[in-house]
Amino acid sequence: MRYLRATFVFSVLMLSVAVMAANDKVEINPPLQGSVSPSQGLEAWSRIFEVASHPRCANCHTGPSDRPMWSGPSYGKTRVHGMNIQAGDSRIGAETILCSTCHTSKREDWDNANASNHAAPRVAMSWSLAPINAHWFGRTSQQICEQLRNPETNGNRDTLKLAEHLNHDLILHWAWTPGGNREPAPYSLQEHVNDILAWGVAGTPCPDD
Amino acid sequence: MEITVNDESYTVDVEPEMPLLWVLRDELGITGPKYGCGIAQCGACTVHVNGYAVRSCQLAIGDLGDSKVSTIEGLGSPESLHIIQKTWIEHQVAQCGYCQSGQMMQAASLLSTNPDPSDDQIDAAMSGNLCRCGTYPRIRSAIKAAAKKIQGS
Repeated sequence: MRYLRATFVFSVLMLSVAVMAANDKVEINPPLQGSVSPSQGLEAWSRIFEVASHPRCANCHTGPSDRPMWSGPSYGKTRVHGMNIQAGDSRIGAETILCSTCHTSKREDWDNANASNHAAPRVAMSWSLAPINAHWFGRTSQQICEQLRNPETNGNRDTLKLAEHLNHDLILHWAWTPGGNREPAPYSLQEHVNDILAWGVAGTPCPDD
Repeated sequence: MEITVNDESYTVDVEPEMPLLWVLRDELGITGPKYGCGIAQCGACTVHVNGYAVRSCQLAIGDLGDSKVSTIEGLGSPESLHIIQKTWIEHQVAQCGYCQSGQMMQAASLLSTNPDPSDDQIDAAMSGNLCRCGTYPRIRSAIKAAAKKIQGS
């Protein structure tokens, strides 16, 4: 079982690398050191929190729970993902039903891939829950801020690496172009990356510091 | 466009956006996978892609690449049934039968990665496959019986 899961995850990762090529990139231009005040950094953080707590992001950042959520204007009341979906320790559903069973990977950037309101969204990489440490659903601004600025809980990244992560992870790109009647994450991917970089230059301030 | 289904190669002249289910049923005449909802909400169209369950209504043929497709027609044969097909018959699972090819493909995929699933894992794996006849108790029994046969073999 463990071998099968590892083999599958490896295959998925290799496929993801292979199909990531044809998507838009963002510009990563950090502000000059000292050019962003702590208050400006906090303003940037407040916008970052709007994005992180938005359903397009938070629904799959469920922390210790392995159940993705359905919430936001297009879902009515907040509820767990239908169909009794459990992503398991693998975070991709390898123990029961893979996310990719319905959230198939698309290779070509055809326009109407996510046009249907109720179909499973698709991107050019494998669908999965975020890592357990990246727990955003239902969390406060302070909790998410502390998680994101701590390399021990953010995947050993500084803010430049966080910005690069946003650039490379196509599931994150999807949050701004979700298709159907799904509400996109606020601002734009480029504005979000700019805010991450400004927040970093300001010293990653959090609201309760 | 080339496609391999049940170990046979086919050439189809279709748009890359066409869902795999349409290619199977309308272009190749492989009608085991059924159309239920078209939006991955029912599981009737489930096939295997490289051995893993996939809703064929959700996979565009242009996204398939070199991956190999298996349908219920290729899961076993009348002379050599897949273990899931055997236990399906032993437990007389099917009622109207419309969803059953998808149910069996999903169950076979589960057992290929988790040959000894718990009741909760069976329920989690199969909850995306709907059955209007309500054959769920027999589906679970047949999967548990298949798992037992796998453990005993």
